[in-house]
Amino acid sequence: METPVTCEDLVKVYNGKKKVTALDHLSLNVKEGEVFGLLGPNGAGKTTLVRIFTTLLKSTSGHAEVGGFDVDKQENKVREIIGYAGQDSERSAYWRLSVRENLQYFAYALRDVPYKVSKERAEEIAEGVGFTDRLDRHFIALSGGEKQLVIVMRAIIHNPQVCFLDEPSKSLDPVTGHRVRNYLKKYAADHGMTLVITTHNMLEAEEVCDRLALVDHGVIKFVGTSPEFKRRVTVKETLEIGTNNISKELEASLSALPGVTNLVHEQSVRLYCDDSFSILTDVVDLLKRSGLKAPVRMVEPSLEDAFTFFVQNGDKEVKPNA
Amino acid sequence: MPNPIKLFYMSVWRNLLTMTRYKANFFFEMLGSFLFGFGMLIFAMAFDTNMLGNLVGSTNYVAFIILGISYQSWQNTALWGSAGMFQGELSSGQIDYTFSCPFSRYWYITGNIAASALQSTIFFTPMFCVALYFTSSTLTPLGVFLGLAATMVSVAAIAHLGAIFASLVLKYRQTTAIFSFFNFAFQMLTGMFVPFQLLPAVLQVAGYALPITFGMDLLRYYVMGTRSIMPVEYEWVGLFLQLIILSVIAKLTVMYLERSAKEEGLHYL
Repeated sequence: METPVTCEDLVKVYNGKKKVTALDHLSLNVKEGEVFGLLGPNGAGKTTLVRIFTTLLKSTSGHAEVGGFDVDKQENKVREIIGYAGQDSERSAYWRLSVRENLQYFAYALRDVPYKVSKERAEEIAEGVGFTDRLDRHFIALSGGEKQLVIVMRAIIHNPQVCFLDEPSKSLDPVTGHRVRNYLKKYAADHGMTLVITTHNMLEAEEVCDRLALVDHGVIKFVGTSPEFKRRVTVKETLEIGTNNISKELEASLSALPGVTNLVHEQSVRLYCDDSFSILTDVVDLLKRSGLKAPVRMVEPSLEDAFTFFVQNGDKEVKPNA
Repeated sequence: MPNPIKLFYMSVWRNLLTMTRYKANFFFEMLGSFLFGFGMLIFAMAFDTNMLGNLVGSTNYVAFIILGISYQSWQNTALWGSAGMFQGELSSGQIDYTFSCPFSRYWYITGNIAASALQSTIFFTPMFCVALYFTSSTLTPLGVFLGLAATMVSVAAIAHLGAIFASLVLKYRQTTAIFSFFNFAFQMLTGMFVPFQLLPAVLQVAGYALPITFGMDLLRYYVMGTRSIMPVEYEWVGLFLQLIILSVIAKLTVMYLERSAKEEGLHYL
């Protein structure tokens, strides 16, 4: 199957006291075997989209398919081929059972994996993510990150064709996060599994996703690879000043330099401009005059830069597809 | 798709693991069952046994009330077990995972109820034995068998009522007050603690609609030798009819309410 995850003209409206349009005529195709990232600010509609694909939510209109099955009309067929780890689901297992017992219960009872196979799979996956030594610990005794890891393990224990992970590495430490990402990427490649991940973790998106989609206000604003995304959104060059301590006056002077279109003041100061080389000497002069000693360098924009820029500026700054 | 027997078997496995892992709690739960039964002895002394004799044909109030309580431990599980399970799954977020799995929701609910009922039997048995002790003068092996058979059929029917309540959780999410209301109403309407014959006629009609009424009445009839509310053949037919009707309604309700809950999402909003 060329595109095991696909939707067309999908609309989801939540009918509360105030109607909220979570998805607004959204269309998407995910190719077989690819790791696909859904990025977007909070409330963009990523989780709603995943819930529709996983048969947990009904769309208001439009059409969605997973593995060639209609998510509304053939929901059990869809459920047979998917794996799922929801957002904030680190409490969603039996607390008094061990990790091994939990994995076996879910695989054997709810996913129809033969008992012996479920046992072997639990051990195999635990080894892959470096969890073998904690397989016999009670779920309640695990840390938040470890619980989250068990939930991710549960999502793939039955070897699904398509797996949806909603912010899978949210509570994982950087080392574990890196190990799990690598494992998932390798697992997907080895088993031909299509993986759809929603994330705010740009490192994760850059590390594992073959392609990504940027969702905002229920609409897909961009679909492509990470380098394409950076090229498309960060049309500006970036100059970084290695300090987070500059005065308001200096910030204003830097912003007023010719060609500077945006200044982001966080852990460092980033100037987005048309031509960073032409303003470099002016920037150094301004720093000298204010008595500030800080390194200045021209940087390759990261995916996070691109994401931040996109969220702050929206479509206005986005140039047509490169 | 996982089959119902596997769902039931694994639910029993999960429950027993969880229950026996905490040994002190398990021991006191068993002990509590005995304590409750014997505690009723004191409670029973406050009652007018002559009135009971006139109403149900037996003055054995001790057995009357202990059988009611024994029955209640099964009935509670059947009626509220799966609703409680869904509320737990909703608050932990597990419902998202379980409902993304390919199994029949109806079998998942009833399988879990059956597993919990089996678990309740462990606690039901000591109390039931206390009741049997107090009915030794009227007790026959056939009576015990038929009493238990009636209990099982009625509990199966109640389990479907429980499935309906469980699926209400999917739609309405916070249902504690609704369940408390119905729990008390059912206890009053079915003669669990006071003879059914004491209820006003209008309430008796409502009581006939519930499988708890016939189940408990038949249990007491066979074990204690009380007078039945109506001819026992009618009560058996009523019980089986209730089982069939409630199972159809439960299946439809589960299907309808899952679809309806999917409009806004299964998780807590």
